[in-house]
Amino acid sequence: MPILEKRAWLTLWTMCPVYLVYFLIQATYPQLTPTYLSRFGLLAIVAGLHAVGYIAGELVMRRQNRGEPLDRDERDRAIDASATRSAYFLLLTGMIVVGMVMPFTDSGWKVVNSALLFIVLAETLRVLLTLRGYHPRVAG
Amino acid sequence: MKLLRFLAQEMTQADLGRRVGLTRQTIAAIEQGRYSPSLDVAFRIADVFGKRIDEVFHWRRDAEGAQHAATAAK
Repeated sequence: MPILEKRAWLTLWTMCPVYLVYFLIQATYPQLTPTYLSRFGLLAIVAGLHAVGYIAGELVMRRQNRGEPLDRDERDRAIDASATRSAYFLLLTGMIVVGMVMPFTDSGWKVVNSALLFIVLAETLRVLLTLRGYHPRVAG
Repeated sequence: MKLLRFLAQEMTQADLGRRVGLTRQTIAAIEQGRYSPSLDVAFRIADVFGKRIDEVFHWRRDAEGAQHAATAAK
């Protein structure tokens, strides 16, 4: 499996579950984090779990690597560029909504969480398109 | 390309990849027709086998004629 594909799977498995839990808590049990400090605390825990999971996965991946080069070649770069281009437009749309529309309709943590949601969605899209790039026939 | 590797002292995909600056997986993708390499890489692969580029790769039009692909000659 190419290194970029492994990293895409790693990102998917470390990022999506923790942020899914975060957004579920924010949407269904906002009373669990009543103060700004507790909300920042939850966000810090989620970001920390994501980072620790990713770093641990990267270390395991490098240890199990059987002499495969860790550099990307032209196919990896082409797949990455294509996936990143699509994710960029989603992120751009999200930032327009969050930065130019929501300040007039919402405020506070709703804006913060919406920005975070668009970042997670854009990154998820990038990862899914990367995986699709390696398996075009399987993923359609 | 598989045949050319076999004739070149049974060169592995990893060996060929190292010589042209690609990963083993990308060489496999080229051989399976899942990836069309850049012109630069195509020239380098042909050079490894001491062949002309058109002896290693051929151009084909797909069934709909909508897409063109440079694929490795099997």
